[in-house]
Amino acid sequence: MKRLTRIIGIALSAAFLSVGVASAASLGLTSGKLGAGSAAVSGCTSSSLTATRNVDNNGNVTQVNVLSVPQACAGQTLAVTLENSAHASLGAGSTVVGACTGGCTVNVTGFGTVAAANLTSYALSLTG
Amino acid sequence: MRRRRTLLRLALAVGVAIVASTGVAYAASLGLASKQLHVWSQTLTKGTCDQTSTTAADTYVQQANPNSVTGGTATTLRIVPTAGSQEYSFITFDLSGCSLPTTGGADSAALSVFVTTAGNDTISLFPVYSSWSESTLNWNGLGGLTIGSTATTTFSGATTGAKTVPVTADVDAAIKAGTLWGWELRATTGTANVVLASSENGTAARRPSMTLSYEK
Repeated sequence: MKRLTRIIGIALSAAFLSVGVASAASLGLTSGKLGAGSAAVSGCTSSSLTATRNVDNNGNVTQVNVLSVPQACAGQTLAVTLENSAHASLGAGSTVVGACTGGCTVNVTGFGTVAAANLTSYALSLTG
Repeated sequence: MRRRRTLLRLALAVGVAIVASTGVAYAASLGLASKQLHVWSQTLTKGTCDQTSTTAADTYVQQANPNSVTGGTATTLRIVPTAGSQEYSFITFDLSGCSLPTTGGADSAALSVFVTTAGNDTISLFPVYSSWSESTLNWNGLGGLTIGSTATTTFSGATTGAKTVPVTADVDAAIKAGTLWGWELRATTGTANVVLASSENGTAARRPSMTLSYEK
Protein backbone atom coordinates (compact mmCIF):
# COMPACT_ATOMS: atom_id res chain seq x y z
CA MET A 1 0.00 0.00 0.00
CA LYS A 2 2.81 2.31 0.96
CA ARG A 3 4.69 1.54 -2.25
CA LEU A 4 1.54 2.02 -4.30
CA THR A 5 0.96 5.41 -2.73
CA ARG A 6 4.54 6.47 -3.55
CA ILE A 7 4.16 5.35 -7.12
CA ILE A 8 0.91 7.24 -7.49
CA GLY A 9 2.50 10.33 -5.96
CA ILE A 10 5.51 10.23 -8.28
CA ALA A 11 3.29 9.63 -11.28
CA LEU A 12 1.09 12.59 -10.41
CA SER A 13 4.15 14.82 -9.92
CA ALA A 14 5.56 13.79 -13.27
CA ALA A 15 2.25 14.41 -14.95
CA PHE A 16 1.92 17.93 -13.55
CA LEU A 17 5.52 18.75 -14.40
CA SER A 18 5.21 17.53 -17.94
CA VAL A 19 2.06 19.56 -18.44
CA GLY A 20 3.86 22.65 -17.17
CA VAL A 21 6.93 22.12 -19.32
CA ALA A 22 4.85 21.42 -22.37
CA SER A 23 2.96 24.63 -21.80
CA ALA A 24 6.19 26.62 -21.49
CA ALA A 25 7.57 25.09 -24.66
CA SER A 26 4.57 26.08 -26.68
CA LEU A 27 4.67 29.61 -25.30
CA GLY A 28 8.36 29.83 -26.18
CA LEU A 29 7.65 28.86 -29.76
CA THR A 30 4.89 31.44 -30.01
CA SER A 31 7.24 34.06 -28.63
CA GLY A 32 9.81 33.21 -31.30
CA LYS A 33 7.30 33.67 -34.10
CA LEU A 34 6.19 37.03 -32.81
CA GLY A 35 9.77 38.28 -32.47
CA ALA A 36 10.46 37.32 -36.04
CA GLY A 37 7.78 39.65 -37.26
CA SER A 38 4.34 38.10 -37.29
CA ALA A 39 1.23 40.19 -37.71
CA ALA A 40 0.61 39.95 -33.99
CA VAL A 41 2.99 42.88 -33.42
CA SER A 42 1.04 45.19 -35.72
CA GLY A 43 3.72 45.53 -38.39
CA CYS A 44 6.31 47.09 -36.08
CA THR A 45 9.05 44.96 -37.55
CA SER A 46 12.00 45.55 -39.75
CA SER A 47 14.78 43.35 -40.96
CA SER A 48 17.20 45.95 -39.64
CA LEU A 49 17.44 49.52 -38.47
CA THR A 50 20.19 51.94 -39.46
CA ALA A 51 21.56 54.48 -37.05
CA THR A 52 23.74 57.53 -37.60
CA ARG A 53 24.97 60.01 -35.07
CA ASN A 54 25.72 63.69 -34.96
CA VAL A 55 28.76 65.08 -33.20
CA ASP A 56 29.84 68.40 -31.80
CA ASN A 57 33.07 70.05 -32.82
CA ASN A 58 34.94 68.08 -30.17
CA GLY A 59 33.80 64.82 -31.70
CA ASN A 60 31.35 63.91 -28.93
CA VAL A 61 28.04 62.30 -29.83
CA THR A 62 25.17 64.75 -29.49
CA GLN A 63 22.36 62.73 -31.02
CA VAL A 64 21.65 59.36 -32.60
CA ASN A 65 19.29 59.23 -35.55
CA VAL A 66 17.56 55.91 -36.18
CA LEU A 67 16.34 55.72 -39.75
CA SER A 68 13.36 53.99 -41.31
CA VAL A 69 11.54 53.03 -38.14
CA PRO A 70 8.18 51.58 -39.28
CA GLN A 71 5.19 53.78 -38.73
CA ALA A 72 3.53 50.96 -36.80
CA CYS A 73 6.14 51.34 -34.06
CA ALA A 74 4.59 54.61 -32.88
CA GLY A 75 4.15 54.44 -29.15
CA GLN A 76 6.89 51.89 -28.63
CA THR A 77 10.08 52.71 -26.80
CA LEU A 78 13.24 52.86 -28.88
CA ALA A 79 16.39 52.33 -26.82
CA VAL A 80 19.90 52.96 -28.13
CA THR A 81 23.09 51.84 -26.47
CA LEU A 82 26.45 53.11 -27.72
CA GLU A 83 29.08 50.40 -27.47
CA ASN A 84 32.85 50.25 -27.70
CA SER A 85 34.89 47.54 -29.36
CA ALA A 86 34.42 45.27 -26.34
CA HIS A 87 30.63 45.83 -26.60
CA ALA A 88 30.67 47.65 -23.29
CA SER A 89 28.17 50.46 -22.95
CA LEU A 90 29.50 53.97 -23.41
CA GLY A 91 26.09 55.56 -22.92
CA ALA A 92 22.43 54.86 -23.47
CA GLY A 93 19.29 56.77 -24.27
CA SER A 94 15.72 56.07 -25.20
CA THR A 95 12.60 57.75 -26.45
CA VAL A 96 9.05 56.87 -27.36
CA VAL A 97 8.53 56.65 -31.09
CA GLY A 98 6.12 59.36 -32.18
CA ALA A 99 3.52 59.28 -34.89
CA CYS A 100 4.79 59.86 -38.40
CA THR A 101 4.00 59.02 -41.97
CA GLY A 102 6.09 56.48 -43.82
CA GLY A 103 9.42 55.48 -42.32
CA CYS A 104 10.21 57.56 -39.28
CA THR A 105 13.57 58.99 -38.33
CA VAL A 106 13.75 58.88 -34.57
CA ASN A 107 16.27 61.05 -32.76
CA VAL A 108 17.62 59.96 -29.41
CA THR A 109 19.65 62.21 -27.12
CA GLY A 110 21.03 62.16 -23.60
CA PHE A 111 24.06 59.91 -23.94
CA GLY A 112 26.36 62.02 -21.80
CA THR A 113 29.85 62.69 -23.10
CA VAL A 114 30.74 59.92 -25.52
CA ALA A 115 33.58 60.35 -28.01
CA ALA A 116 32.45 59.17 -31.43
CA ALA A 117 35.93 57.78 -31.96
CA ASN A 118 35.25 55.17 -29.26
CA LEU A 119 31.88 54.20 -30.67
CA THR A 120 32.08 51.00 -32.69
CA SER A 121 28.53 49.67 -32.60
CA TYR A 122 24.94 50.53 -31.79
CA ALA A 123 22.59 48.22 -29.92
CA LEU A 124 18.99 49.10 -30.74
CA SER A 125 15.78 47.75 -29.34
CA LEU A 126 12.07 48.46 -29.67
CA THR A 127 9.71 47.44 -26.92
CA GLY A 128 6.04 48.02 -26.68
CA MET B 1 -2.60 5.78 11.73
CA ARG B 2 -0.68 4.18 8.90
CA ARG B 3 -3.36 5.08 6.39
CA ARG B 4 -3.39 8.65 7.60
CA ARG B 5 0.38 8.93 7.03
CA THR B 6 -0.05 7.49 3.58
CA LEU B 7 -2.71 10.04 2.70
CA LEU B 8 -0.48 12.78 4.03
CA ARG B 9 2.36 11.66 1.74
CA LEU B 10 0.01 11.55 -1.21
CA ALA B 11 -1.20 15.09 -0.52
CA LEU B 12 2.38 16.30 -0.17
CA ALA B 13 3.35 14.77 -3.51
CA VAL B 14 0.40 16.40 -5.22
CA GLY B 15 1.25 19.73 -3.62
CA VAL B 16 4.86 19.59 -4.81
CA ALA B 17 3.69 18.77 -8.32
CA ILE B 18 1.28 21.70 -8.38
CA VAL B 19 3.89 24.14 -7.14
CA ALA B 20 6.43 22.92 -9.69
CA SER B 21 4.00 23.18 -12.58
CA THR B 22 2.85 26.62 -11.50
CA GLY B 23 6.45 27.85 -11.42
CA VAL B 24 7.13 26.68 -14.95
CA ALA B 25 3.94 28.26 -16.22
CA TYR B 26 4.85 31.57 -14.62
CA ALA B 27 8.26 31.58 -16.33
CA ALA B 28 6.54 30.97 -19.62
CA SER B 29 4.29 33.95 -19.16
CA LEU B 30 7.39 36.12 -18.72
CA GLY B 31 8.66 34.79 -22.00
CA LEU B 32 5.38 35.68 -23.62
CA ALA B 33 5.63 39.28 -22.41
CA SER B 34 8.94 39.70 -24.26
CA LYS B 35 7.31 38.95 -27.62
CA GLN B 36 7.35 42.64 -28.54
CA LEU B 37 11.04 43.10 -27.97
CA HIS B 38 12.97 43.68 -31.21
CA VAL B 39 16.72 43.94 -31.07
CA TRP B 40 19.22 45.08 -33.67
CA SER B 41 22.96 45.63 -33.64
CA GLN B 42 24.95 47.74 -36.08
CA THR B 43 28.71 47.57 -36.29
CA LEU B 44 30.69 50.54 -37.59
CA THR B 45 33.82 50.65 -39.72
CA LYS B 46 36.48 53.17 -38.77
CA GLY B 47 39.05 54.76 -41.05
CA THR B 48 41.03 57.85 -41.93
CA CYS B 49 41.01 59.98 -45.06
CA ASP B 50 43.40 62.88 -44.62
CA GLN B 51 43.19 65.70 -47.13
CA THR B 52 46.03 67.60 -48.76
CA SER B 53 46.39 70.29 -51.40
CA THR B 54 45.66 67.62 -54.00
CA THR B 55 41.99 67.62 -53.03
CA ALA B 56 41.83 71.22 -51.80
CA ALA B 57 40.13 74.12 -53.51
CA ASP B 58 40.65 77.65 -52.24
CA THR B 59 40.35 81.26 -53.26
CA TYR B 60 39.72 84.71 -51.88
CA VAL B 61 37.32 87.42 -52.98
CA GLN B 62 37.86 91.17 -52.94
CA GLN B 63 35.25 93.79 -52.26
CA ALA B 64 37.37 96.36 -54.09
CA ASN B 65 37.58 94.10 -57.17
CA PRO B 66 34.19 92.42 -57.09
CA ASN B 67 34.58 90.61 -60.41
CA SER B 68 38.09 89.32 -59.77
CA VAL B 69 38.63 85.55 -59.74
CA THR B 70 42.40 85.67 -59.47
CA GLY B 71 42.24 84.29 -55.94
CA GLY B 72 41.65 80.85 -57.39
CA THR B 73 45.16 80.60 -58.77
CA ALA B 74 47.01 82.74 -56.24
CA THR B 75 49.66 81.27 -53.96
CA THR B 76 48.17 83.04 -50.96
CA LEU B 77 44.76 83.59 -49.40
CA ARG B 78 44.01 87.07 -48.11
CA ILE B 79 41.79 88.15 -45.22
CA VAL B 80 41.21 91.89 -44.94
CA PRO B 81 38.71 93.48 -42.53
CA THR B 82 38.98 97.06 -43.78
CA ALA B 83 35.54 98.50 -44.51
CA GLY B 84 34.99 99.01 -48.21
CA SER B 85 37.86 96.77 -49.23
CA GLN B 86 37.18 93.60 -47.30
CA GLU B 87 38.62 90.31 -48.49
CA TYR B 88 37.37 86.87 -47.52
CA SER B 89 39.03 83.51 -48.12
CA PHE B 90 37.41 80.18 -48.93
CA ILE B 91 38.79 76.67 -48.42
CA THR B 92 37.28 73.26 -49.04
CA PHE B 93 38.30 69.69 -49.84
CA ASP B 94 36.86 67.14 -52.21
CA LEU B 95 35.98 64.15 -50.03
CA SER B 96 34.68 61.99 -52.87
CA GLY B 97 37.82 59.87 -52.78
CA CYS B 98 36.94 58.79 -49.25
CA SER B 99 33.85 56.93 -50.54
CA LEU B 100 31.85 57.81 -47.46
CA PRO B 101 28.12 57.05 -47.48
CA THR B 102 25.69 59.64 -46.17
CA THR B 103 25.06 57.33 -43.22
CA GLY B 104 28.70 57.76 -42.22
CA GLY B 105 30.19 60.54 -40.19
CA ALA B 106 33.32 62.24 -38.93
CA ASP B 107 34.80 61.08 -35.65
CA SER B 108 37.25 63.98 -35.79
CA ALA B 109 38.39 66.50 -38.36
CA ALA B 110 40.93 69.27 -38.04
CA LEU B 111 41.82 71.95 -40.57
CA SER B 112 45.35 73.28 -40.77
CA VAL B 113 46.35 76.52 -42.43
CA PHE B 114 49.60 78.45 -42.38
CA VAL B 115 49.72 82.16 -41.60
CA THR B 116 52.45 83.78 -43.70
CA THR B 117 51.62 87.38 -42.80
CA ALA B 118 50.39 87.96 -39.28
CA GLY B 119 47.84 90.53 -38.14
CA ASN B 120 46.15 91.00 -34.82
CA ASP B 121 42.81 89.66 -36.01
CA THR B 122 40.51 86.89 -34.90
CA ILE B 123 39.94 84.76 -37.96
CA SER B 124 36.56 83.01 -37.90
CA LEU B 125 35.49 80.05 -40.03
CA PHE B 126 31.89 80.06 -41.22
CA PRO B 127 30.53 76.88 -42.84
CA VAL B 128 29.48 77.13 -46.48
CA TYR B 129 26.40 75.11 -47.44
CA SER B 130 26.24 75.66 -51.19
CA SER B 131 28.51 75.01 -54.12
CA TRP B 132 31.27 77.30 -55.28
CA SER B 133 34.29 76.99 -57.54
CA GLU B 134 37.71 78.45 -56.95
CA SER B 135 37.91 79.38 -60.62
CA THR B 136 34.68 81.42 -60.69
CA LEU B 137 33.90 82.69 -57.21
CA ASN B 138 34.17 86.46 -56.81
CA TRP B 139 32.82 89.11 -54.47
CA ASN B 140 29.68 89.56 -56.51
CA GLY B 141 29.02 85.86 -56.22
CA LEU B 142 28.84 85.89 -52.43
CA GLY B 143 25.16 86.70 -52.51
CA GLY B 144 24.46 83.37 -54.18
CA LEU B 145 26.15 81.38 -51.44
CA THR B 146 24.54 79.94 -48.36
CA ILE B 147 26.87 80.58 -45.46
CA GLY B 148 26.29 79.75 -41.83
CA SER B 149 25.73 82.69 -39.54
CA THR B 150 27.61 81.14 -36.62
CA ALA B 151 31.35 80.59 -36.73
CA THR B 152 32.43 77.00 -36.35
CA THR B 153 35.72 77.93 -34.81
CA THR B 154 38.31 80.71 -34.69
CA PHE B 155 42.04 81.20 -34.53
CA SER B 156 44.32 84.13 -33.94
CA GLY B 157 46.15 85.59 -36.89
CA ALA B 158 48.53 87.44 -34.61
CA THR B 159 51.46 85.15 -35.26
CA THR B 160 52.80 83.44 -38.32
CA GLY B 161 52.94 79.66 -38.57
CA ALA B 162 50.59 76.70 -38.68
CA LYS B 163 47.13 77.01 -37.18
CA THR B 164 45.02 73.91 -36.62
CA VAL B 165 41.37 74.13 -35.65
CA PRO B 166 38.66 71.49 -35.09
CA VAL B 167 35.99 71.28 -37.76
CA THR B 168 34.46 67.95 -36.81
CA ALA B 169 30.84 69.05 -36.62
CA ASP B 170 30.92 70.70 -40.04
CA VAL B 171 32.62 67.77 -41.74
CA ASP B 172 30.25 65.32 -40.06
CA ALA B 173 27.27 67.30 -41.34
CA ALA B 174 28.85 67.53 -44.79
CA ILE B 175 29.33 63.77 -45.00
CA LYS B 176 25.64 63.31 -44.20
CA ALA B 177 24.72 65.96 -46.75
CA GLY B 178 26.89 64.29 -49.40
CA THR B 179 29.34 67.13 -50.11
CA LEU B 180 31.70 69.35 -48.18
CA TRP B 181 31.58 72.99 -49.26
CA GLY B 182 34.17 74.15 -46.77
CA TRP B 183 34.48 77.43 -44.97
CA GLU B 184 34.57 81.14 -45.46
CA LEU B 185 37.42 82.69 -43.45
CA ARG B 186 37.08 86.30 -42.43
CA ALA B 187 38.27 88.56 -39.66
CA THR B 188 35.68 89.09 -36.93
CA THR B 189 37.89 91.28 -34.77
CA GLY B 190 40.92 93.40 -35.62
CA THR B 191 41.85 95.68 -38.48
CA ALA B 192 45.02 94.13 -39.88
CA ASN B 193 45.55 92.13 -43.04
CA VAL B 194 46.23 88.40 -42.59
CA VAL B 195 47.67 86.24 -45.35
CA LEU B 196 47.59 82.43 -45.52
CA ALA B 197 49.37 80.00 -47.82
CA SER B 198 47.05 78.60 -50.49
CA SER B 199 46.97 75.17 -52.09
CA GLU B 200 49.11 76.64 -54.88
CA ASN B 201 51.78 77.82 -52.46
CA GLY B 202 55.34 76.89 -53.41
CA THR B 203 56.00 75.39 -50.01
CA ALA B 204 53.94 72.23 -49.86
CA ALA B 205 54.06 71.99 -46.07
CA ARG B 206 52.29 75.33 -45.79
CA ARG B 207 49.31 74.45 -47.95
CA PRO B 208 45.90 73.87 -46.33
CA SER B 209 45.30 70.33 -45.16
CA MET B 210 42.76 68.45 -43.09
CA THR B 211 42.94 65.30 -41.01
CA LEU B 212 39.80 63.21 -41.04
CA SER B 213 38.85 60.15 -39.02
CA TYR B 214 35.51 58.71 -39.97
CA GLU B 215 33.04 55.94 -39.35
CA LYS B 216 30.73 54.27 -41.79
